[in-house]
Amino acid sequence: MVQSKKQKYVFLAFCLVPTFILFSIFTLYPLFSGLYFSFFEWSGSSSNREFIGLSNYERLFQDKIFPRTILHDYFLVVTKVIGIMILAIFFAVALTQLKIKEAPFYRVVFFFPNIMSVVVIGILWTFIYNPSLGLVNSGLEFMGLGEWARPWLGDENWALPSLVLPSIWAGIGLFMLLLIGGISNVSKSYYEAAEIDGANEWQQFWKVTLPLIWPQIKISILYIVITTLNGSFIIVQIMTGGGPNNSTHVMGSYLYQQAFVQYNFGYGATIGVVILILSLITVLILQFLMKREKVQY
Amino acid sequence: MKKKVRPAVIRTGIRIPLILWAIAVLYPIIWMFIGSLKSNAEIYSNPWGLPESFNFQNFIDAWTNYNIDTSVFNSVIVTVMGMFLTLVLALPTAYAIERIKFKGSGILFTVYISAMMIPMVLGWIPLFFLLMDFNLLDNLFGLAVVYAISQLPFTIFVLTSFMGTIPKELEESASMDGLSPYGILLRIITPLSTTAIITVSIMNAIQFWNEYFMALIFLQSRTNYTLGLAIDFISSEAQYTNAWGTLFASLTIAIIPVIILYAIFQKRIAKGMTEGAIKG
Repeated sequence: MVQSKKQKYVFLAFCLVPTFILFSIFTLYPLFSGLYFSFFEWSGSSSNREFIGLSNYERLFQDKIFPRTILHDYFLVVTKVIGIMILAIFFAVALTQLKIKEAPFYRVVFFFPNIMSVVVIGILWTFIYNPSLGLVNSGLEFMGLGEWARPWLGDENWALPSLVLPSIWAGIGLFMLLLIGGISNVSKSYYEAAEIDGANEWQQFWKVTLPLIWPQIKISILYIVITTLNGSFIIVQIMTGGGPNNSTHVMGSYLYQQAFVQYNFGYGATIGVVILILSLITVLILQFLMKREKVQY
Repeated sequence: MKKKVRPAVIRTGIRIPLILWAIAVLYPIIWMFIGSLKSNAEIYSNPWGLPESFNFQNFIDAWTNYNIDTSVFNSVIVTVMGMFLTLVLALPTAYAIERIKFKGSGILFTVYISAMMIPMVLGWIPLFFLLMDFNLLDNLFGLAVVYAISQLPFTIFVLTSFMGTIPKELEESASMDGLSPYGILLRIITPLSTTAIITVSIMNAIQFWNEYFMALIFLQSRTNYTLGLAIDFISSEAQYTNAWGTLFASLTIAIIPVIILYAIFQKRIAKGMTEGAIKG
């Protein structure tokens, strides 16, 4: 291109600077500033902001609720990864290997909850779990299992596990499509070769499909973990608000309660820093654990 | 003979879970539509069945008595502003990163992309005070700006990878014809990127339309409520008023635009989202 260096830099600045300034103000600055806030005791008004060093972090260790919120987060991570991956792999294999005519219908339907608002999903599922009107309890009574019926979201032991199903329901389609993409890239000749060697469908699945779609499986697991740690609090907030008796609070919903309901902004920021650190560490550990080399045949 | 029977059995066996899951997905959604046409008394007496008659009273109630009209308007405003702002901010940056050689372009790209993986919940506390200082708290424009910036990394990611496929010769010949780089960006690159722009804008629009938590934090007065907040409000009120029919009607209002977009752009949305996940 015929243009002077100066013109090039002016154009570059035009392209990059305004966007980057806004990005810095609304994304980078708040993150660092959040870290800074975590060293203060602060109820919101600028006059009574007090530097207290690491006291907020010490408080985390004495907080009876916070360790439970971490456990709840990882409970959701583990159950969601297992639930979504088993079902998504099953559906992906079923839809690709078995040449079912109506396969596109299932793809379209299974994916739809991925673009539904969490508000809609949360409220619908609150109804499904409703103690008197809900589908779950009516279904149990219909099957003669009435004694299993319970106020799912109002029961301290069952509320958190009850949140897993809506999350799986909402998430499965995306990962199914991701895996389908992987499977359709596997060359047919591998299956033909496996068949000649006498491998049955089950063996073909374990020895051919699974190793070859490992990259997609890895990405899916990572993505589920990241989105759960960064976003599970939304469905918690809508369906239970952290209750009953804090039994469903995750780190993010606890942060919201501390900062925006009780106005402990410094302490809330401290929780945010822990969320950030924990999710970074989790992703690094996962990436290390899943560092299985690409299989090549 | 044996070989032929077995696959048939397996095939039906595998269809059953597929059918069950399809019912599990569709039934609650269809049930929500049906519920929006039932009276409250009927929702109680026959919660999961078909309605006796269709009545649209719930929609009228939601629209007039529960201010859903204002919330729909607010959501449309925020969604459109957010969508437009994201594009204006992302297009030049994506072009510069993809096509102009400069020091640090790799780093800049990495900074944007890694922001996609960082939990922003920590940033929301300072952002709350920042918006307050800018007089943008409880302000729809403020929320649209926050939304736009939050989708910036994803948008830049999609646009750069698409611009990589546009042949360089087009820019070169345009530049020979005396078009400035600004002209090339506006008249050549932007029109050629229409496909990617549409895909990414639809996905951003759905994201903004559905968003709940940032709206919860950054909006306060009921006149500014977006749909998610208004529905959540109706939902918590319904515990006492039992206005379930109205709640279903407002849920239906919230989901219909998404269903329409999905019906038209299903392939693009699915493709865009899986590609967005793969970079992760």
